[in-house]
Amino acid sequence: MRSRKEGDTGPGWVLLAYDAPSAAVKARCLQEGPNLGFPMLEMEFGRFRRWAGAALALLSGLAACGSEPDLVIYVAHDQIHSEPLIRRFESETGLRVRAEFDVEANKTVGLVKRLREERSRPRCDVFWNNEIAHTVALAGEGFLAAYDSPSAAGIPATFRDPENRWTGFAARARIFIVNTDLADPASLDSMDDLFDETWSGQVGMARPLTGTTLTHMASLFSVLGEEDAMAYLERIKSSNDEGALNLAPGNGHVMRLVRDGQLAWGWTDTDDFNVAREAGAPVAAVYPDQEGIGTLLIPNTVAILAEAPHPEAARRFVDWLLSPDVESELAHSRAAQIPVRADVERPAHVIGGEALKFMQVDFAAVGAELVQRQELLQGMFLD
Amino acid sequence: MSRTLVIAALALFALFALAPLVAMLLRIGPADVRDLFEMRTLSLLGRTLFLGIAVASLAFAIGVPFGFLVARTDMPAARLLRPLGATPLLLPSLMVAMTWAVIVPGLRGAPATIAYLGLSTFPLISIFTSRAFERIDGRLEEAALTVGGLRAVLRMELPLVLPAALVGAAFAFAFAVNDFGVPDYVSSIGPKFNVYADEIKLNWDQFQRPGKAVASALPLIAVTLLALAPALVLRRRGALASLGSDFVSPAPLRLGPWRWPAFAFCLTVVAAGCFVPLGRLLWEAAAMPQHLAQGAGWGSALQQGAETVHSEFGVALELARSDLGNSLLFALTTAAICVPVGLVLGHGIERGPRRLGRTVELLAILPIAAPAILFGIGTVVLWNHDATAELYDSGWMAILLFVGRYLSFAILISAGAVAALGQEMEEAASLAGASPSRRLVSIVAPCLKGSLVASFVLVFVFAMRDLDAAILVPAANKTAMLRVFNGVHFGRDSYVASLCLLLVFAILLPGLLWSLFARRRLEVLP
Repeated sequence: MRSRKEGDTGPGWVLLAYDAPSAAVKARCLQEGPNLGFPMLEMEFGRFRRWAGAALALLSGLAACGSEPDLVIYVAHDQIHSEPLIRRFESETGLRVRAEFDVEANKTVGLVKRLREERSRPRCDVFWNNEIAHTVALAGEGFLAAYDSPSAAGIPATFRDPENRWTGFAARARIFIVNTDLADPASLDSMDDLFDETWSGQVGMARPLTGTTLTHMASLFSVLGEEDAMAYLERIKSSNDEGALNLAPGNGHVMRLVRDGQLAWGWTDTDDFNVAREAGAPVAAVYPDQEGIGTLLIPNTVAILAEAPHPEAARRFVDWLLSPDVESELAHSRAAQIPVRADVERPAHVIGGEALKFMQVDFAAVGAELVQRQELLQGMFLD
Repeated sequence: MSRTLVIAALALFALFALAPLVAMLLRIGPADVRDLFEMRTLSLLGRTLFLGIAVASLAFAIGVPFGFLVARTDMPAARLLRPLGATPLLLPSLMVAMTWAVIVPGLRGAPATIAYLGLSTFPLISIFTSRAFERIDGRLEEAALTVGGLRAVLRMELPLVLPAALVGAAFAFAFAVNDFGVPDYVSSIGPKFNVYADEIKLNWDQFQRPGKAVASALPLIAVTLLALAPALVLRRRGALASLGSDFVSPAPLRLGPWRWPAFAFCLTVVAAGCFVPLGRLLWEAAAMPQHLAQGAGWGSALQQGAETVHSEFGVALELARSDLGNSLLFALTTAAICVPVGLVLGHGIERGPRRLGRTVELLAILPIAAPAILFGIGTVVLWNHDATAELYDSGWMAILLFVGRYLSFAILISAGAVAALGQEMEEAASLAGASPSRRLVSIVAPCLKGSLVASFVLVFVFAMRDLDAAILVPAANKTAMLRVFNGVHFGRDSYVASLCLLLVFAILLPGLLWSLFARRRLEVLP
């Protein structure tokens, strides 16, 4: 038996047991008979009943968590920007929407994984992805339904699936974020500047295994060809091994390192850049390779699931989301998404497609080869 | 021991803690296992083992002296520093790393990973060490003190404390080898420091071969089990033995002139693991870097910072109120379920048939050893069917996910506490005719109050800060932890820092309230 410790204040019956030899307890138990008859014991049962009652009251509140919505949307676009839009859609249409958001730590794949695991009993109606490669891959596997939204009429063909299983809108560009205290933006113009000895140890990018950086590297195979793309990736790898090029966990992290002056410049997305710009940090954006292959543009994509439980509501939402007004609103948000339609109104800091040369990518091919590219990159960068 | 209760509790444990893992293991094919033996993955595994050993060693080097000083000496403020020393365990390790990476930008790669994970896991060792030092009989200690002073005491006591400290080190090792966020984060600058947990995470990102993803988790599960199994053996051999009835509590040891250096050491450790990360969050919540960068003097910056904190906390509370409420509801309900089920199984492990007890104890480690993501997907695979649709879509799914993940902690804490409790009272009540369930509720539970509350607090904390498993289960998506990580991406530093502080406060609240108002200590160990 445990000895009584200073400060120990258990129920009286237990204290008696602490203080007295167990024989005394046994004797008392035998005298009192089967119902024990100790007041403290009864008190314990009383407390137990009260706690059980409180617990039941608490648990009853959980029933509300399972109420049936009119529409279920899986959203990989950042919650902070997409949630207010979805709430507006709710108030305009009167539909009850359940939105499931991905987190940055998952780099989109969390929701894609869920869509696959839920294939036997689909829960999702609409998938709003913040990139394109995984959406194309899902379309290839038969997850998505064809829908030619009237709102998508003005969207260029590059950003639309020929079979109408997905539509691209509101894009991000892959750019250099430059700390103007440490580097002159005018001195940078090409993706090969990454290996310029001038910037050894002062330049960075996200590790090319997930997110838009993975899509970017996979796109290089489509644009540069196998040999040149491999050579470029091998240079990234050897530069990191030498400590000349830094590989961060994500694009947001690259932005912070440059914003805080730990790096002179790095590769990131326009939405991350805009956060630093709005905060008043000494940063500038460079859209690389204007004389060469162009800057990569990665659009958001929206698609209706083939087995959507609420197809009518899903079509309503897609029409609404692809409207020029919503694309304009996304351009005005902190995410500063670039409208893919030239005539959509945007703020001055969101550059228009007509002003720049963008990379011409066969996204269908990129999506189809994504897993193969990811395995290759994993072998190279995770050793 | 009530057979019905034990069978019901075992069924719950099997259904929610083991079945998701079994559902995933069934996906593995022979080709998936072959891929495990590539040179690249073996090299990653070797590096990860090195990391685990290095982290456990550093945590050991900090945790043993810290545990001894706060539990057994007359060091100033020992009673205050002891609970504060456990706080780093409650904070996400990535948060500690993010804080220190800003303060010490030059420390990167493997040394930084070892340092930050060591700082996050040292409480595991100090908690075990403190209890082990407290279980040394005062008479033995007095004899050693008389013969050879403090040195003789330590020579006599260290071998007695070592097994318990090694149990803590085994847990520190298990935590370290499963962490992929810290190594990735701290090697943002300089050559990349990759670990095996990264391989598992990335394999999950590929979908065409789910068996490969599960198979790649097996080596890490095996390594974790190998580290934790000896902990169980040490417990069985008496490393956490029960105290005899004639036990005499040891008196505090006098440190003499070493009191203040000892205090300085413990304060430094607590500051590094707790005050600095929380202070940095407050600094960011107040947007102090921006205020100072705008050229404001310290006085003016502090005033602006106070205003920023006020407004950002308001924003964080407004935006995250519903998620915070969900987190609290899920975590409280999870803990309320885990404690009684854990008590029944913990009691069963100690008082039931020996072989069954050991089997359940070993199985209880599995959910701890399995990567969270494996558990999350397993839960989706297991419960997303037409027959269980109502359950899958309801808030109960989040609770059942957390129950499955964290029930093991309640079982192991209860088992340890029951082992330290004499059987005499239960035998007496049995002779008097009390039913097994009544004995459990009226005799065992009151005696283990400190341990039961500790297991409630621990399960609550883990459920509140769960991210990796919750991401995958729809019902568990609307929590404060997920909102924090969503916010991190957009670099809204003040808002995210305020939200982090709110979450940390909510996580610490039950333990704080108990420490402030209850007269009994939380007893994670008997």
